[in-house]
Amino acid sequence: MTAEPPITGETPLTTEPSAPAGPLAEKAATAKSPRALKAARMRRSLARFWKEYRTHRSGLWGLAALILIALIAICAPLLVGADSESVTDAPGQAMEDPSGEFPLGTDQFGRSVLALLVWGSRVSLTVGLLAAFLCVAIGTVVGIVAGHFRGWYATVLMRVTDWFLVMPTLVLAIALATVMDRSMWTVILAIGITTWPTTARLVRAQTLAVESRPYIERARALGGGHGHIMLRHVLPNVMPLVLAQTTLVISSAILTESTLAFLGLSDPTVTSWGGMLQDAREAGAVSAGHWWYLAPPGLAIALVALAFTLCGRAVESVLNPRLGVAR
Amino acid sequence: MNVRDQHAPQFGSPPPAPRRRRFLVASGVAALALTAGLAAAPAAPAAPAEAPAQQAEANANTKAKADGKTLTVALAQSVDSLSPFLAQRLVSTSIHRLMYEYLTNYDPKDNKTIPGFATEWKSSPDKLTWTYTIRDDSKWSDGKQATAKDAAFTFNKMMTDENAAQANGSFVANFKKVTAPSDTELVIELKEPQATMTSLDVPIVPEHIWKDVKDYSKFNNDEKFPIVGNGPFVLTDYKTDQYVKLKANKEFWRGAPKFDELVFRTYKDQDAAVAALKKGEVSFVAGAPALTPAQAASLKGEKNIKVNEGPGRRFFAIATNPGAQTKDGKKFGDGHPALLDQKVRQALFLSVDRKTIVDKVFQGHAVEGEGYIPPRFESYFWKPEGDQKLAYDPEKAAKLLDEAGYPMKGDKRVGKDGKPLDFRILCHATDPNDKAIGKYLKEWWGDLGIGLEVQCLDDVSVPWYAGEYDLAFDGWSVNPDPDFVLGIHTCAALPEKAKESAATDNFICDKKFDELYKKQLAEYDAAKRAATVKEMQSWLYDSGYMNVIAYPNAVEAYRTDQIKSIKTMPEASGNIYGQDGYWSWWSAEPASAGSGGSGSGDGGDDGGSTGIVIGVIAGVLVLGGAAFFLSRRRAATADDRE
Repeated sequence: MTAEPPITGETPLTTEPSAPAGPLAEKAATAKSPRALKAARMRRSLARFWKEYRTHRSGLWGLAALILIALIAICAPLLVGADSESVTDAPGQAMEDPSGEFPLGTDQFGRSVLALLVWGSRVSLTVGLLAAFLCVAIGTVVGIVAGHFRGWYATVLMRVTDWFLVMPTLVLAIALATVMDRSMWTVILAIGITTWPTTARLVRAQTLAVESRPYIERARALGGGHGHIMLRHVLPNVMPLVLAQTTLVISSAILTESTLAFLGLSDPTVTSWGGMLQDAREAGAVSAGHWWYLAPPGLAIALVALAFTLCGRAVESVLNPRLGVAR
Repeated sequence: MNVRDQHAPQFGSPPPAPRRRRFLVASGVAALALTAGLAAAPAAPAAPAEAPAQQAEANANTKAKADGKTLTVALAQSVDSLSPFLAQRLVSTSIHRLMYEYLTNYDPKDNKTIPGFATEWKSSPDKLTWTYTIRDDSKWSDGKQATAKDAAFTFNKMMTDENAAQANGSFVANFKKVTAPSDTELVIELKEPQATMTSLDVPIVPEHIWKDVKDYSKFNNDEKFPIVGNGPFVLTDYKTDQYVKLKANKEFWRGAPKFDELVFRTYKDQDAAVAALKKGEVSFVAGAPALTPAQAASLKGEKNIKVNEGPGRRFFAIATNPGAQTKDGKKFGDGHPALLDQKVRQALFLSVDRKTIVDKVFQGHAVEGEGYIPPRFESYFWKPEGDQKLAYDPEKAAKLLDEAGYPMKGDKRVGKDGKPLDFRILCHATDPNDKAIGKYLKEWWGDLGIGLEVQCLDDVSVPWYAGEYDLAFDGWSVNPDPDFVLGIHTCAALPEKAKESAATDNFICDKKFDELYKKQLAEYDAAKRAATVKEMQSWLYDSGYMNVIAYPNAVEAYRTDQIKSIKTMPEASGNIYGQDGYWSWWSAEPASAGSGGSGSGDGGDDGGSTGIVIGVIAGVLVLGGAAFFLSRRRAATADDRE
């Protein structure tokens, strides 16, 4: 059974299902199989999405920066060498000033700060992405379930969401990271568990809007169960919103990861940008005035967070024209 | 007295560095004034720009003068308890040295025993009865005479009340009876001879205050200020995690301290403490446990600041869990079974390059570790010779592991049960050295095929007491008398019940070690006792339970325009903070008002001129920016008009 395109008259929140708009397109589509039809529709909406996205200049900048940083992170072993994290084979003396060999000086172990910065991007990006994914996954499940099932079931879920919403995120994350082992996975879990309520609320609102449309009622009349409606009708319709939300959550997840690492709650043997700041502080770089050790990780965090936010905003305004044109 | 500093101080969120603020404000004001002045009249700016700078200088001067007789010390550790019966941390025991008298004291020159509260002492021929003559010129700060009865009360309390024996109980465990026949005579009868009778590091408290205390396990001695004492200083105020204030005891029998007030201020962030020292807000920074090499290097270049570096009294070691157990032999905890094999323990230590750690992590501010007791205590210092020495030798370590039944499979060592050899190491999240050394260990042991998980916690005492660790970073400050640091490895120190706090450091319990411990405690001949102590260290070294990596130096700094002179201990080259005695703070001399004033004046001038420079630059930038935007706007409007 194919999902009937929703009536997009009042809320053009979604793009993908509203693709086959003109009568010409429908006529041409009847000749093809449903699968090919779906693929063609997907292609068209992606192309339109990209066309729209291209008009957002800040979004393009953000995307370019992201691609660059991702490339650096992936190619880290080729760029700066696989053993630049090793303390036993550190090439330099401790806390060297910037020089030709070490453009950003060295840390207290004699490792190049530039090389660490490149390696740190891997952890910061991985943690940011995974934590954001976890956060959005929890949020989507809770949001759809709470929006679909009404009554006490939804009430309980939303009260739990409210409870998490009013909890100070950082404090809860610190508490979690303290109780559990110090590892990268703990940090991912701590961030994911503490930041999902906003997504849940957004998704629930969208679910309510989608479920009030007549085609859902028709699907139900044709015998569609809860699972069918949630997975085949509601989920595709909230997906664009979830996507936009993910890009926005990533930047805050990276910031939280850095904060936790800076507070010393991350695995001390893993190099991340927040961890580098913590190392710099512990080595006394602040009072020694070694700004070349302190500033780059901070700037890198800001840059990545900015890039994701720019992309997120652009995606959001493409998917939801009501937000207006903020380019 | 035990000076447990394994619970290293904690860092919190960094308070804003106060140093910059004045500059920023000054420069901000200057920039505003400058732009305003430039806008109004071209001649005006010089005057308003200078005004705030001068003001700042004046502030600095008055501050220095007001602080003239107050010595402020920046600390990182917070006080655990002000009760001498409970306190274990170095900061608290150091403060007790200032508040109360001890029967005997240590000479700052050479650590020899010298008179304290007692002026003379002698033992009976059977070595079991000690008679102390108590001085008659020591008064409690509330005016009452301090007598031998107070000392007898203190010891009797510790002997009869278990709650009062928590901190220093080991000293009185062997006491049979303590009496005070007169105000100036104290008699202690022993069950067995005890060598520590002239180094009883127990603060003597006033009986008339402490006899009304009901529960010694809960009373923290911080209710009524000033706290009655008879040391060189009297504690007048205390706020948890903020400060401890003491005022000089003018009637102190050895002579009044030269500073009127002594303030220990808590700085959770070491960089903030260093900034406060540079600014002159504090006179002294005691590192936690030492200033980092970068901080010491940056302070060495500063005017009016002296960096003091001396051999420390601490050792820094890796402890291995020998299988935690209670006094009656009940096992608990989850230490790795492979560590029960001496070969594995020695292999771990063989693959640790102590020299690299001293060079890289401590950057030379430490001495390579050998025996258990730091070389500073010459008479007890022991080091392995010849074959006994476990020098850095990864190949030998690999061979030992093969012999122990952990051959390489792929790139991991695998035991007979088929499980890879993976250890955990407990590290203090607040100690950068722990984390740094953890990184090295991970790589060295990784090369050997051993996995390592570095578990950094703010409070390691929970898994530690529960025996839930494989390895741990450990460190103790050693007293001139080594009895205490040896006693924490005896069976008697094991906990009564599982997971209970106890005097034991690392759950070591060995018959041979215990026998040697008893032997040294009963030995009154110094040379013979030292020989036994060395034998104990040799056993400890071979056991692989306590692997001493380094003896970190004490690295601390003070302002010479506020402190003219201060005694280190040992006097030739030693530490200032955390001494065995009150010598540093008691002897500290304030710098004369003139030199202090001029010193701060220089600082103020520097700040002023820096402020002006920044102000001018900021002003130019602001003006330039404004001009740029104005010109753009005019161009734009011109375009629009066309």
